[in-house]
Amino acid sequence: MIRFEQVSKRFGATAVLDEVSYEIKAGEIFIIVGLSGAGKSVSLKHMVRLLTPDEGRIFVGDDVVSEAGGRKLEEIRARFGYLFQGGALLQWLTTGENVALPLREHTNLKDDEIRKICLEKLRLVKMEDAYDKYPDEISGGMRKRASLARAIVRQPEVVLYDEPTSGLDPLTSRTIDDLIKETRDELGVTSIVVTHDLHSALSIGDRIAMLHKGKIVELADPAGFIQSDHPVVRQFLESQYITRRGSWEASLRL
Amino acid sequence: MRTLEPEVYLPTDNPIQQLGRRVMFVLRGAGHALLMLGEAILFIRCMFGKRSRDQIVHQMYVGGVKSLGVITVVALFTGMILALQTGLELRRFGLQANIGTAVTVVMLREMGPFMTALIIAASVGSAIAAQLGTMNVSEEIAALEIMSINPVKFLVMPRLVALMVMMPLLTVYTNLVGIFGGAIVGTTQLEVSMTAYFDNAQLFAQNKDLYVGLFKAWIFGIVITTVSCHQGLITKEGAVGVGQATRRTVIISFLTILILGYIVTRLFYQL
Repeated sequence: MIRFEQVSKRFGATAVLDEVSYEIKAGEIFIIVGLSGAGKSVSLKHMVRLLTPDEGRIFVGDDVVSEAGGRKLEEIRARFGYLFQGGALLQWLTTGENVALPLREHTNLKDDEIRKICLEKLRLVKMEDAYDKYPDEISGGMRKRASLARAIVRQPEVVLYDEPTSGLDPLTSRTIDDLIKETRDELGVTSIVVTHDLHSALSIGDRIAMLHKGKIVELADPAGFIQSDHPVVRQFLESQYITRRGSWEASLRL
Repeated sequence: MRTLEPEVYLPTDNPIQQLGRRVMFVLRGAGHALLMLGEAILFIRCMFGKRSRDQIVHQMYVGGVKSLGVITVVALFTGMILALQTGLELRRFGLQANIGTAVTVVMLREMGPFMTALIIAASVGSAIAAQLGTMNVSEEIAALEIMSINPVKFLVMPRLVALMVMMPLLTVYTNLVGIFGGAIVGTTQLEVSMTAYFDNAQLFAQNKDLYVGLFKAWIFGIVITTVSCHQGLITKEGAVGVGQATRRTVIISFLTILILGYIVTRLFYQL
């Protein structure tokens, strides 16, 4: 579905991505983890060409997104939904109008049809009551859910989640995790999630990749990931009290 | 297509390199701003779509109607100051009856469009830069890009059309209030009757003065929108970046208005 081929990206003297290659399969939940500044969000932005690689190519299906422009790029981007870290809802529009925006701009649907679709998507993220509320009248978690509704309103093939649970309380974080899973199960979308939260990654991910210093240092399913012998991965797992058995025994022992 | 590519340069201590980078930075910024303006002008053909129409009307209200209060005060006192300064000098020669002409011509040719532009640049331009800058740092602009909604069409074009329409209208209003302010000073302090003031005002003022002034106002509207939208769209680095974008918008707009004001005057009024 999405393929990185020897992708490199430098910001000045810093190599954020260094000849990275991996492939994301259609329909899977692919998690990218790593320390801050490891290049996780940069990877996401490359997938929709908000950033362009210095070297290498990125494929979306058979299309090379890293070289696409104009109408072709619009077509590729239409296949994506993107949930930004802060939600990125337009502040002067209500939640419903935000969700409706892509439909108003790209379809000739009537107002009542658009409202019906938006309510359906908001119901999917359990937000139908917030249709007429402005983004500053709802909580951070609700903003992310509304943003997810906007991301899926045009029925994309791929949804990109940029730190969907950052800044949220544990309960809301699990709600978002459930939503990511439900969205994949109900709509069949490929989901790519960037996160620091390994508990979330292990519970919803089909495969997990760890980025460190511009390289993929581990790529495995959750069971394989927690068995990794790579020192950085082990350190990352242990920092969140996850042992090779995937439990929290380490924290209890402390 | 906009991307989020950061401009990263290796550090250098060489002053010539630093100067070169600064010059390139300014030239590249001006180039981007002009390209954005060109794109926005091309999108004017979409201004009659429902969403664009609503946005334009809203921007006309925000940029025009809501500025009327401050414009009224500034215009009134500008006219009064003009009348007082010129009137005092003219009275020494017994020519104070001519302040009608003096105030009207100066308001129509220069002070009307100039004062209006300064007020709009400082209030509306800075607000546009702050709004678009905040949208940029909170990734709302990137979200528009992902949804294949062109930010120039969605955000810049309505503001451009709104100020292209409102600036000449506001200038007409500034002129009227300024001339009226001059009349107040004329009647209360210079012993020139209202009738004499307005008769004199019509004596030497020409239609050309009005048209050139309105043309300037139209140009200034384009300048303010271009500078403020461009600065907003290139904002980086959070709240600090938004503050810098706002500050740069006011400075660049003021300087450009001054320089273009001179050039237009030079074109239409030969020595």
